[in-house]
Amino acid sequence: MSKVRTEDLKPGLIVSEDVKSPDGRVILPKGGRIEAFHPMLLKGLGVTEVEADSGDDEKLLQAAADYTREFFSYANPDSPVLAELFLYATGLVAQRLATGWVPPTLGERMAQNVEHLSDVLPADEADPEKIVRHETELASFPESSLRLKAELESPKASIGSLTKLIGQDLGLSAKLLKLANSPLYNFAEPVESIQRAVTLIGLREVSTLALGMATINYFQGIPPELVDMKSFWRHSISCGIFAKILSQAMGSGMNPERFFIAGLLHDVGRLIMFKKLPYASTEALLYARENFVPIVAAEAALIGYTHTAVSQYLLASWKFPAMLADLINNHHSPKAAPDPRLAAIIHTADAMSNAVEIGAGRLYVLPDFDDESFALMGLPASGLAKVFADYETQAEQTISAFF
Amino acid sequence: MALTLSPTLSLRKAPSISDEEFRKLRDFIYSKCGIFVDDKRKYLFETRFGPRLNALGAKSFSEYFQILTLSPDKDKELASLFEMVTTNETSLYRDTKQLDGVRASILSKIIKEQRAKGKFELSVWSAGCSSGEEPYTLSILLHEELGPELRKWRIAITGVDLSPAMVAKAKAGVYQEYAFKTTPEDIKKKYFTPVVGGLKVTDSVASLTCFQSMNLNDAAATKRIPKSHLVFCRNVIIYFDEAMKKKVVSSFYDNLLPGGVLILGHSETLHKISAAFKPMMLPGAMAYEKI
Ligand SMILES: C[S@@+](CC[C@H](N)C(=O)[O-])C[C@H]1O[C@@H](n2cnc3c(N)ncnc32)[C@H](O)[C@@H]1O
Ligand SMILES: [Fe+2]
Ligand SMILES: [Fe+2]
Repeated sequence: MSKVRTEDLKPGLIVSEDVKSPDGRVILPKGGRIEAFHPMLLKGLGVTEVEADSGDDEKLLQAAADYTREFFSYANPDSPVLAELFLYATGLVAQRLATGWVPPTLGERMAQNVEHLSDVLPADEADPEKIVRHETELASFPESSLRLKAELESPKASIGSLTKLIGQDLGLSAKLLKLANSPLYNFAEPVESIQRAVTLIGLREVSTLALGMATINYFQGIPPELVDMKSFWRHSISCGIFAKILSQAMGSGMNPERFFIAGLLHDVGRLIMFKKLPYASTEALLYARENFVPIVAAEAALIGYTHTAVSQYLLASWKFPAMLADLINNHHSPKAAPDPRLAAIIHTADAMSNAVEIGAGRLYVLPDFDDESFALMGLPASGLAKVFADYETQAEQTISAFF
Repeated sequence: MALTLSPTLSLRKAPSISDEEFRKLRDFIYSKCGIFVDDKRKYLFETRFGPRLNALGAKSFSEYFQILTLSPDKDKELASLFEMVTTNETSLYRDTKQLDGVRASILSKIIKEQRAKGKFELSVWSAGCSSGEEPYTLSILLHEELGPELRKWRIAITGVDLSPAMVAKAKAGVYQEYAFKTTPEDIKKKYFTPVVGGLKVTDSVASLTCFQSMNLNDAAATKRIPKSHLVFCRNVIIYFDEAMKKKVVSSFYDNLLPGGVLILGHSETLHKISAAFKPMMLPGAMAYEKI
């Protein structure tokens, strides 16, 4: 039994003495449970600490750490960055455990039925180039995206031409406006037109965003039963948000939109694999969970190549701007990128979103982390706590802008 | 975040393994069972083996290695090592599409040929059978295919696995709900009966099978398996390197009767492993015929 400061209270904690206001009223009787609203309420009433059983707390924390550690078992346990990620993820898991969450058992982690799926191409015939060709022959990259790409690369681009181009696609305009009004930007006043967004955010920046959003649209048709598309996109958007925050933390002149979109699209190769090899890629997900390896290692073991090999062909055949493609294709191997320092941003953002997702019950082990490339970014590992905090203020609303 | 995290919370829990120790242990595992562990799984080794090291009181991987190779209990220790490096994930009716394809195009053909020859016998080898779901599935398929005619047939389905614990489970033939995740409901009803602790395969299904623990790396042992019409080796060779894949596949080749067929897991192929088989495209699967 010990005193817990009001600001450290978390939901689920059981108080071991009556909690009284300074004027003696009982606010929560002995044995009561702290709910999410309590810390604020108690603080408002001037209660600075309560008696709670922190022995259970310690146990809960250890349980959270043990659960979380499983998902870090593939990566270097001595990495200072992963140590930060581990602490953060453990905190999230502990919070959930405190609210009564029961973590999935080993059996549940593995249970998934892939029997209804079948691959478009047999394993013998499917290499990254072939599956991409199969895709690009079936459907061309959307006309509007091509024009956006041209706009992005054109020296003659203007607010007028870009606004007109985006305006032709109502869905795209709506999505961009939602994004401009999300906490990602946090403008003081509502952004009501694309023109205004371009003025506030910038011409190249909005073109980049528009290209990214149009690319997402292209994949909208993937049937949800193939794979859990919602968690796929959550992971992607999270990675985008982290990448943007990281790039901003690295100083000005970084074009945060570029990193947001690269983060958003970093696993795009996986979408092609889902479409062409649904059975094999779902088996790779299962293999990843069975063997405690990250999805990218499971792809290599089971399919023989990974989603970055696929995105390489895909983005090349779409003639996607190199400033995005280089980041996407190297997010698991930042050292191999033309500019490892920039690829490290997506690499780190991916790891951070994986860490967040452990707390949300996602079941995949963190991929390898390259500390040397991270060092190039010039951020201390200890600075990541602030990045997580910034992320928390933006995540939910930004993610909901997409769904 | 309002949570105060205790400073004792560290990511590392297991003793660390040096590159040298890792290579030694990995080569040892490879030489014992052909399972190949790539460099990237070094840290995974630490976490998987850590609890075992702690239980043994070994302070380093070198000490653990000594126990594995020199102690009087080394055979027992080896078995527990195998448990740590293998995955036994399986289920009844795993990969239904492939099984449908095998039944329609392969089993029925072999059966027809045998009938024509007046030889009512059939043998199947399930290599890497884990807890027995695969051999029992094959027995059920044969029950479905042959119906009442089954009585006339002599059928032997031999399941082998590296893990004695898995083989024991296979022999017991009792399964939990989880094992049925890919099984059609009617099959489950027809061939399993409730017992304490789960559902048990019927005697008729069990009667076609036999199980033994065996290392596929052991060429002398695999020679003792009766010659087969059909070899199932699914989701096993992905854990092997190319040399071991070749070795194991050649033992399948030797074991198969002329015209016999090898079935691999969904994403596995003989591409680059062996040219001694004729690949056949079935609906939902690939099969490899001995030529
Ligand atoms: C993932 S299970 C596959 C089970 C089943 N064939 C299926 O597809 O559902 C792999 C099995 O291969 C076995 N195994 C691995 N290496 C082996 C070896 N060298 N000799 C025999 N069995 C081995 C493991 O013990 C494990 O039970
Ligand atoms: Fe990735
Ligand atoms: Fe990712």
